[in-house]
Amino acid sequence: MTAAVVRISAIARNTFVEAARNRAFVGLGVAAVGLVVSSMVLSGLALSDQQSRVLVDFGLFSIALLEVVIAIVLGVILVFKEIDRKTFYLVLPKPVHRHEVLAGKFAGLLGVLAVALVLMAAAWFASLASRDVEFKPDMAKALALVWMEAALVTSAAIFFSSFATPVMSGVFSLGVFLVGRNVAVLEELLAGTKGPLVHNPLARTIAETTVFVFPDLTRFGVGREVILGIPVGWDYVGAAALYCAGYCLFFGALASLVFRRREFL
Amino acid sequence: MDDAIVVEGLVKTFRTPLRRRKVEAVRSVSFRVGRGEIFGFLGPNGAGKTTTIKVLVGLVRPTAGRVTVLGGAPDDMGVKRRLGFLPEQPYFYDYLKPTELLDVFGALFGMSRAERRRVIPDLLDRVGLGAAKDRAIRKFSKGMQQRVGIAQALLNDPDLVILDEPMSGLDPIGRREVIDLIASLKARGKTVFFSSHILADVERLADRVVILDRGVMKASGTLPELLGQGTDEREVVLRAAPGSPDPASLPGVSRVEALSPGLVRAICPAGRSDPVLAAALAAGFAVVSVAERRMTLEELVVSHAAGAGPGGIGAGGTAGGAS
Repeated sequence: MTAAVVRISAIARNTFVEAARNRAFVGLGVAAVGLVVSSMVLSGLALSDQQSRVLVDFGLFSIALLEVVIAIVLGVILVFKEIDRKTFYLVLPKPVHRHEVLAGKFAGLLGVLAVALVLMAAAWFASLASRDVEFKPDMAKALALVWMEAALVTSAAIFFSSFATPVMSGVFSLGVFLVGRNVAVLEELLAGTKGPLVHNPLARTIAETTVFVFPDLTRFGVGREVILGIPVGWDYVGAAALYCAGYCLFFGALASLVFRRREFL
Repeated sequence: MDDAIVVEGLVKTFRTPLRRRKVEAVRSVSFRVGRGEIFGFLGPNGAGKTTTIKVLVGLVRPTAGRVTVLGGAPDDMGVKRRLGFLPEQPYFYDYLKPTELLDVFGALFGMSRAERRRVIPDLLDRVGLGAAKDRAIRKFSKGMQQRVGIAQALLNDPDLVILDEPMSGLDPIGRREVIDLIASLKARGKTVFFSSHILADVERLADRVVILDRGVMKASGTLPELLGQGTDEREVVLRAAPGSPDPASLPGVSRVEALSPGLVRAICPAGRSDPVLAAALAAGFAVVSVAERRMTLEELVVSHAAGAGPGGIGAGGTAGGAS
């Protein structure tokens, strides 16, 4: 292992321990299990031929939502806390580059998201098994894509928290998530021949910029395919992973630029 | 002599968050710290000590001036490997135990796992935390947390240790231990740069000091240079007998300081000590000692903070400039 990897791993491990020992994380875990269990209850209310569909759909939705909530909450809080509580005063004078500190924070949160995903997935699979819903390999791929989406949102949250207050960082990160989930809709509107985006040049420019800058998070949602039995290929998952990595690097580079200039008065 | 720290014309200005008012925290400060020295950095609150220290460790960039630490820039990785730093009122990852915290920092210093396992318990014993190494830091008292801070500052066996208020929060025993620790660092050839409000400790430890006030350097030099010239006053220590009058009423006494019950220090001009002694003996006081009055570091700092400066700074010391 190179020295940089050792340093990033040390920060990542510490970030993971901090999150794991945080009561808020335990609360999120309880909420996660509660939501997955509620999918079982909801499926019981559905028509008998729709029960498995509801179980799969709502379960995946719940896991994706909670992963993003964890990503935003921890992504925003953990960096801000270091600045607010001045623990960075102890870390930054050590032989570690500032971008390595951010990379370590990010890697630690990826670990947290992975553990949270495994726990929620276990509860989800248990709920599927209880209703005799067959496990499909594409479900695992769908979960991997959920994790990627959360990773991307985490990188955005860390970027925002490198210069903004937690509330503002949370709002911005949520904005990235909500816009990202609707980029495909904007693309459809831009491709259309009717509507305000055709006649209003300003609105069209804004929409085009939004589509260009914001990540298209619908790439990470394959719940429909899983439900309908449409195969999700590894090439698709691989492309999504590259897309996620590209945006993580983009937000990471921006965060590093801001953080490198930051002073700790 | 090869200097551990060189600060030349350091200026740091920043703007307040809301009103964007320009604040000059440090104004053209210059000093050098030689290798192997214990260097005291003094001044009242708001003098610019912590800002200067943050520049030295790379947390803040200078607005103007040149800063060299161990021959390199403060943010140089090679410099950081040889530097130990204790911030003022340090905050820790308090969910960790001290061993876990030092393990994280040890990894940042590039120490192997085996080295960390060897060094950390010894270091915790050295700062008096051997028995508490498996408790979460959040359960520690302020003094114990300060010891954790000192331990992490010494983890990499640094050539230069920068300590911002290392005695803060420590009881007298803890203070004594830190004093001994700093002295032992000097004995091992390390350079120690520290700020402290406890001037008695600075007097005991520091080879040289810099006094800062409102961002401006007021004086620098060795303690004998700054304090050793004495004053034109004498101090007469008297023990009162039953029925002794108020010593302040003795002719020639300019002021009186109580030392302990029944023991006072009467200050008088150098030329009036004989009449004071005669009057004191006649009034029933026992004379314990008579000595030339020397300025204390506390008086020196207070006089600079008051804006007047001392009556006379030692020959080798400098006022308001670099040494």
